[in-house]
Amino acid sequence: MSDRGKPDGTRGSAIRALSLVSPATAATLLSLREVAFRHPGSPAGAPEAVKSVTLSVRAGEIVGLCGPNAAGKSTLARLACGLLRADAGSIELGGALLESLTLRARAKQVAFLGQQSFSELPFTGREVALMGRAPHLGLWSLEAKGDRAHAEAALAELDVLHLADRRVSQMSGGERQRIFLARAFAQDAALSVLDEPTVALDLAHQVLLVNALRSRARAGKGALLVLHDLSLAAAACDRLALVVDGRILAEGTPADVLVPALLEQAYGTAVDVVRDPATGLPMVTPRVQR
Amino acid sequence: MSRELDDARRAGAESAAVRAVRVLLLLLPILAAAMALGLTSGGQPISLTAALHGIEPDSTILRSLRLPRVLLAAEVGAALSLAGVALQALLRNPLADPFVFGLSGGAALGSALVAVIAPAAAASAASLLGLVPQQVAACAGAFGAAVMVFTLGRVRGQLNPERALLLGVVFNSFASAVVIAAQALLRPERTQQMLLWLSGTLGYETPPVLIAAGLAVMLPLAALTALAGRLNLLALGDEEATSLGVDVGQTRALSFLAASIAVGASVALTGLVGFVGLVVPHAVRMLTGPDHRVLLPASALGGAIFLVLADAAARMLFRAVGAEPPVGAVTALIGAPLFVLLLRRRA
Repeated sequence: MSDRGKPDGTRGSAIRALSLVSPATAATLLSLREVAFRHPGSPAGAPEAVKSVTLSVRAGEIVGLCGPNAAGKSTLARLACGLLRADAGSIELGGALLESLTLRARAKQVAFLGQQSFSELPFTGREVALMGRAPHLGLWSLEAKGDRAHAEAALAELDVLHLADRRVSQMSGGERQRIFLARAFAQDAALSVLDEPTVALDLAHQVLLVNALRSRARAGKGALLVLHDLSLAAAACDRLALVVDGRILAEGTPADVLVPALLEQAYGTAVDVVRDPATGLPMVTPRVQR
Repeated sequence: MSRELDDARRAGAESAAVRAVRVLLLLLPILAAAMALGLTSGGQPISLTAALHGIEPDSTILRSLRLPRVLLAAEVGAALSLAGVALQALLRNPLADPFVFGLSGGAALGSALVAVIAPAAAASAASLLGLVPQQVAACAGAFGAAVMVFTLGRVRGQLNPERALLLGVVFNSFASAVVIAAQALLRPERTQQMLLWLSGTLGYETPPVLIAAGLAVMLPLAALTALAGRLNLLALGDEEATSLGVDVGQTRALSFLAASIAVGASVALTGLVGFVGLVVPHAVRMLTGPDHRVLLPASALGGAIFLVLADAAARMLFRAVGAEPPVGAVTALIGAPLFVLLLRRRA
């Protein structure tokens, strides 16, 4: 949080250089091999939502899923967590086949946050953050001091400790999103799968989230993010996968993936890609007629 | 507001077990006081001390009239409140209530069906054995209604509370109409009695029936309290709850079943007592917060207190005019305005 005011990119590259875990040798947290999926109930002739996708996330790595609407990014994220069952291919979490793990064992491996839809019951921010501790609780699901400390730390990490005792139903969209992110962080899983986590967050809190994910990556955690803002994705992620029509069109470093030819093929609209002079990271700007 | 904040702060700092014990210790003496009031008030005021010393007629009135009635009120109040909390957790909405969501109507339909098809069984309802088919049918009816409202109330996989609510209300009216029509056709002499039952009336039950009703409260209470941690997580949404290790389908089925047992047993005995499952959890939540590990046991006690007091009120307030409205009328008088208030506050 202390470096919230600095320009975004410098910190990103500096942190990457400092990274303690070398992605090349680190353990694989998530691995999808030739995974295919068709939404149940979709018409017989309809194309699969996900077609033979191979993708992995290693410890200490942040991977971004980008691509046009309805390309299958959210479906991929849900397949990776076991929320949807793949029709073909294999998915491994921490080296074990996903289907062989109980829901609880999965919950210790991977935290998931999807789109916002919260109960109207008057839970407070702290209570929601504490829900992240559920996979770690015993038979009576009673939290111990350590669990409360975990939740508190996650709330502080996302700059919402001051909202801990307010009702989630009375918060703004951005505040609520940070509470939900705190819940996911409190879960303390090796991998976080976050579907559009920056939606509803203002610029400062987008940076806050990216920094938090980066510092967790330094501690050996991984993240798989669905992101629409390509420049933010370039700054946040070690690797990007460009998903189009249920396939991975391109995968690699942000500099490899965010090139005009690929992006124009993916989105069907003209874009310019410039390099941030300070960091060398690609920045994508669509060409809008005015 | 500041008290709510204090409660919330405490909620973060203390174990759910400690909070549950504290609120139960607070509510138990209130329940005792409410029951004492319920036992002594009525058409003929009696003295509790005189009755306990065996002085007549106080002693007989207490044992054979007041005590069964007060116990039944406590059991039904607890059962309906539990069902309300469970439905609110499942539908993620504080407006859910067994009456509003059609469970009571389903139970009435099941119960009345047995009474019409097998009047012999219903006639011997005073005995435990005679009550069993009617209660089971009521529980099945409640479960059927729950499944129906939950299935038809979904839009693209997401439950739409407004839609479920409309379905429940419409189904309740439908069920009442069917029950009345069947009675009018088959046993017209009992129609008046049936109308009273449909508006929710506490009668005088025998000890075996009261014991059975007690079980029908304890079983769902135990099951739902065991599920309380998971019910909390459902607030996050089905996917998030699953990703935290909750088998959402199983949790939902077990909770609906527990709620249906509670509602079915209550409706078979007292008919449609509405809004208890709405009013009580709402009030108890102000005291405990929404954590189901605390809210569920506290609401059981709160529901018992509420219905014992509502029954006492029905007997006392209308004594002057020599009438006694069904207890369902009293709960509706309190519950319906609260429902509107809650609905308005959401907007």
